[in-house]
Amino acid sequence: MVDMPAQNPQRIVLPPHRERARRPRIVRFREWARRNLFNSRAGTLLTIITAAILALLIYGVVYFVFVDANWRVITENRWLLFAGGYPMDQEWRLWFSVMFVFLLIGLTYGTWASLGRRDHLFIVLASGFAVLLLAHGGAAIWSTIWYLIAVGLLYAGYAITIRMPREAGPGRTVQQRSVAGLLIAALPIVLIVLLAFGGARPRELEGFVLNLVLAPVGIAGGLILAIPLALGRASRMRAISWTCTTYIEVVRGAPLLGWLFVALFILDDVIGGELIVRAMVVLAVFTAAYMAEYIRGALQALPHGQSEAAHAVGLNQFQSMQLIVMPQALRISIPPMVGQAISIWKDTTLVTVILPLRELKGNADSAIAQFEFTPDRIEAYVFVAVIFWVVAFIMSRISQRVEGSLGIGER
Amino acid sequence: MTTETASTPARDLESMDDIIIAENVDKWFGDFQALDDISMRIKEHEIVVVLGPSGSGKSTFIRCLNRLEEHDAGRIVIDGIEMNDDVRNLNAIRSEVGMVFQQFNLFPHLSVMNNITLGPRKVRRMPKLDADALAMQLLERVGIPEQADKYPAQLSGGQQQRVAIARALAMQPKIMLFDEPTSALDPEMIKEVLDVMQELARSGMTMIVVTHEMGFAREVADRLIFFDEGSLVEEGTPQHFFENPQEERTKLFLSQIL
Ligand SMILES: Nc1ncnc2c1ncn2[C@@H]1O[C@H](COP(=O)(O)OP(=O)(O)O)[C@@H](O)[C@H]1O
Ligand SMILES: [Mg+2]
Repeated sequence: MVDMPAQNPQRIVLPPHRERARRPRIVRFREWARRNLFNSRAGTLLTIITAAILALLIYGVVYFVFVDANWRVITENRWLLFAGGYPMDQEWRLWFSVMFVFLLIGLTYGTWASLGRRDHLFIVLASGFAVLLLAHGGAAIWSTIWYLIAVGLLYAGYAITIRMPREAGPGRTVQQRSVAGLLIAALPIVLIVLLAFGGARPRELEGFVLNLVLAPVGIAGGLILAIPLALGRASRMRAISWTCTTYIEVVRGAPLLGWLFVALFILDDVIGGELIVRAMVVLAVFTAAYMAEYIRGALQALPHGQSEAAHAVGLNQFQSMQLIVMPQALRISIPPMVGQAISIWKDTTLVTVILPLRELKGNADSAIAQFEFTPDRIEAYVFVAVIFWVVAFIMSRISQRVEGSLGIGER
Repeated sequence: MTTETASTPARDLESMDDIIIAENVDKWFGDFQALDDISMRIKEHEIVVVLGPSGSGKSTFIRCLNRLEEHDAGRIVIDGIEMNDDVRNLNAIRSEVGMVFQQFNLFPHLSVMNNITLGPRKVRRMPKLDADALAMQLLERVGIPEQADKYPAQLSGGQQQRVAIARALAMQPKIMLFDEPTSALDPEMIKEVLDVMQELARSGMTMIVVTHEMGFAREVADRLIFFDEGSLVEEGTPQHFFENPQEERTKLFLSQIL
C-alpha cells in the first residue's frame, strides 16, 4: 500500500511579503507607513488627528501618574488593600500561596504552551510594577524578595517543563497528568495554606486576597455544578430536564447583585452564618447557570457520530460521556467559559456592596475614607482598576495559549 | 477496482451456522417506516454487500444489528444472542460486532493509538501493554504502523478510515459492519481502504458492507442484497445480480449506477 507522503511541518514556503521583509527596517517602515497611515489625503488627516488625540491622552496619563497623582494612598495602605484583616504575623502564608501559584503558571505554560516575547515583556513590566509597589518603606525588602522568588519559580517551572518532549508517550502522559492534578488541587491547597493550622479565620480574608479566593471558588464550583446541569437539561427524562432548565433560567434571570442580597438576607437560615461561604455559594450557583449553557451548546455542536462510535466499540453510556463526549464538549466551550470566568472575576467587587465583606474595591473605599487621603480617590480607583485588568489579562492570555496548543486534536 | 479477477469461489458456506438472523424487522421514525418486514440470514464467514438508492434504509438496517437503532418489531439474533432490552445481551452483541462509519468517527482528541486501545482497555479490561501491542499489530495489518502517535486530524481520509477499521478490529469482533466506508474518501484513497477490507474478507471475517463500489461487490461478495424504500427487494450472488437481475427496481438501480 502506498501512503500519502507525510506532510513535513518544517518546510514552509515563504510568501512574497516575507521575502520583502528582508530589506532594511527603515525602508520597510516607510513603506508600511505610506500604505497604512498616509494612503490618501483623508487618511493622512485622520492619522494626524488620531496621533494628536493619542499624544494628548498619553501626556495626560503620564502627567497624572508621575506628577499629579499622590500614590501614597496606595503605598501607605498596601496591607489594607491587599490583605486587609489578614493577620500580619501570618504573612508567609500569603507569599507561600503566591509562589505556589506562580510555579503552577510556569508549569502550565511549559507543558501546554510556550512563553512568547510578549509574555516575557508582560512579566517584566508587571514585575516592575509590583516591585515599585512593594519596595517602599517598612518590611518592604522582604516582600520584594518573596515576590522575586515567586517570579523565579515561575521561570524555573517553565524551564523544566518546556524541555520535556511534547510527543505523545508515557512520559508526556505522566507530565500532563501531574500538572493537571496540581491545577485541580491548587485551590484546596491554597485555601488550606491560608486558613488551616493557625492561619486566618475565614472572615479575616480581605482585600485583594478575598477577590483572589472568591473568584476561583466561584469558577471551580460553577464548573463542577455546570456539568451535571448541562447533562440534565439535555436529558430525555422530563422531570430532570425541566428541573435543570428552571434552575438555569431562574438564575440567569436575575442579576448577580440580586442573588448576593439573597445570600445576605435569606441564605443565613439555609447554610448558616459564615458570610464568605454564602458569597462563595452564590458565585458558584450563578456561574454554573451560565457555564451549563455553554456546555450544552458544545454538546449539541458535537457530531452525533462520536457517541455512536463510542457505543460501537462497546463503551456504555457513562464511559462514552466521560471519555469521548465531555472532554470534547469542554474543550469546545473553553472560550465562552473563560469569558464567564473573567466576568465573575470582575464581579467579585459586587460582594462589597451588600455584604460586610471587604474585598479590594471595598478596602480602597476604606483607604480614601481616611481623612489624610480623601483627595486621592482617583488614584485609589485607578489602582484598583489596573490590578483587576492585570489579572483579567493574565486569564485571557493563558487561556488563549492553552487553547492554541490544545487545537492539535481538533477536526 | 481490485486486482484479483476471480472472487473467492469454493467457499463452503452451506455448512456454516447462521450468525445473523433477522426476522420480520420493522423500523419506524415517527410515522415514517424506514424498514418494512426485513428477514435475512447470514452465515458465519459470509460477505454480504447491501445495495440500494439513498434513503432506502441500508444504514438503518445495519445500525439495527448493533442497536445504534432500536427495531420496533421482529427479531434480531446475533451469534445466538437475542437482541432485546437486556443490557447484558446488548453489551455482548456490541463486543462481537464492529462497525466502520462513512465519516470515520475517529475520536479527534485521542491519538491513533488511544483510539484503538480505548475499547479493549475500557470494555475488555485489557492491560495497557497488551492493548498497545494489539494496536500496533492491527496498525501493521492496515498498513500504517508509523502513524500510531499522530492525531486523527493529521491523517489523510484513507488513513483515518484504516485507523477506524483497526479500532473496530481491536475488539476482536466476529462480525464487521461497514456503512459506505469509502463514500467520504477522495478517489485516490478508495483503493487503500478496499484493499484492507478485501484482506479482511479473505481472513474469514463475517462482513456486511453497504457500498456503491461495484468492483468490490462483484469480486468479494458472496451475496448481494438490494434494498428499496425500506424493503428487501432482491438478493442473490454477484453473478445473478450483474447478469440477470429479476426485479424492475433492481434493473433500474443497476443501470443508473453501472
Ligand atoms: N434518525 C432518523 N430520524 C428520522 N428519519 C430517519 C432517521 N434516520 C434515517 N431516517 C430516514 O430513514 C430513511 C432511511 O435512511 P437510511 O437508512 O439512512 O438510508 P440509506 O442508508 O439507505 O441511505 C431515510 O428516508 C431517512 O430520512
Ligand atoms: Mg446510509
